[in-house]
Amino acid sequence: MNKKENFFKGIIKENPLFVSLLGMCPSLAVTTSLENAIGMTLGVFFVLVLSNFIISLIMSNSKLADLVKPVRIPVYIVVIATLVTIVEMVMHAYLPSLYFSLGVFIPLIVVNCIILGRAEAFASSNKPLDSVIDGVGMALGYGLAIMTISIFREFLGKGTLTVWGDLQVNLTFIFDFLKIEPIAMFVQPVGAFLTFGLILATITAIANNHKNKLAKKVANNG
Amino acid sequence: MNKGLISGLVLLTIGIVCGLLLSVVNYFTAPKIKEVEDAIKYEALAEFYTLADYDLSEVEGTGDFGTIFILKTKGTENIEALVYTVSAQGYSGASQKIQMLIAVNADLSIEGYKVVSHAESTGFGADIVDNDFNVTQITDLSRFDSVADVTETSNGILTCFTLVSQRVGNDLGGGLSE
Repeated sequence: MNKKENFFKGIIKENPLFVSLLGMCPSLAVTTSLENAIGMTLGVFFVLVLSNFIISLIMSNSKLADLVKPVRIPVYIVVIATLVTIVEMVMHAYLPSLYFSLGVFIPLIVVNCIILGRAEAFASSNKPLDSVIDGVGMALGYGLAIMTISIFREFLGKGTLTVWGDLQVNLTFIFDFLKIEPIAMFVQPVGAFLTFGLILATITAIANNHKNKLAKKVANNG
Repeated sequence: MNKGLISGLVLLTIGIVCGLLLSVVNYFTAPKIKEVEDAIKYEALAEFYTLADYDLSEVEGTGDFGTIFILKTKGTENIEALVYTVSAQGYSGASQKIQMLIAVNADLSIEGYKVVSHAESTGFGADIVDNDFNVTQITDLSRFDSVADVTETSNGILTCFTLVSQRVGNDLGGGLSE
């Protein structure tokens, strides 16, 4: 797999959220606003890229890899937990509103299946540079997925899009024009499942349509 | 040497390196975190009282109590109010307790309260801590209702009030030493 494919697979083909369905619990919980989704993406980006790099660095040294192999899962957890704690401390100190908003889901990044999954499935058996590229692609794919969910949820539930702090786009005029109120259910947990299900169904329908077209093309050519 | 033992030593070494790295990050972030937490507390204090009207002093509490702010009439020793920083366990466990500021006047009425830090679940517990529990209207703490689905969080809030109610009478009667 070349570097370009390695990068883009995490964004579309192997998107951790919409294709692999990994890390759904925190993803659905924090997508009540776009700002939360951006904050979570930054945290996951930092942890995923660095954990992939460090784990790949350890495992690419054959002598060290032999010693680490029997205790590799505890080693992954120690590395990931350290990076998550750094994110937590820095966010608490410099982005307190985001820290309080994301709450318990920051420390929960430690057990995010995406990060542990990439460490075991990719970083442990690939070179550091490839692992960093894989981490960047996966983190961006994850970020795009949760930002998409949060845009739908915040817009439909509150009529706004909070990008960062006071930078908020007020779209309530659309609801005023339609003479309806924002649908508060969408910022509740039920709205998360509904939005996620609808986006997943749309993506599956598009993918199936694409597959059918390809199959027809092959049949016609044959 | 036994391979398992060497693997264990490698894990220990990685753990020590990570610990050292965290202590370095903590060295830089801890003062800033303290600043952030103090700013939240003083902002909340200013919501309860006009601070310029009082002599403000602080006592460090023990156990579940953090800083206790003492507001005295200017130039006298009369305690007008006590503002407690108190913590109790919510849903997020003992390491990330709900921390509240509870302001009690000398006549034992509650002037105000505010959750200053918590790590309750977004969309569940986090939503209720900013709600108005209307505690100032409650005279019997046993009538305080839990919120459906977030029992642990509301129990944490209730515990904070209970802890303050257990000591405030004694503190206002001179039991608080500066």
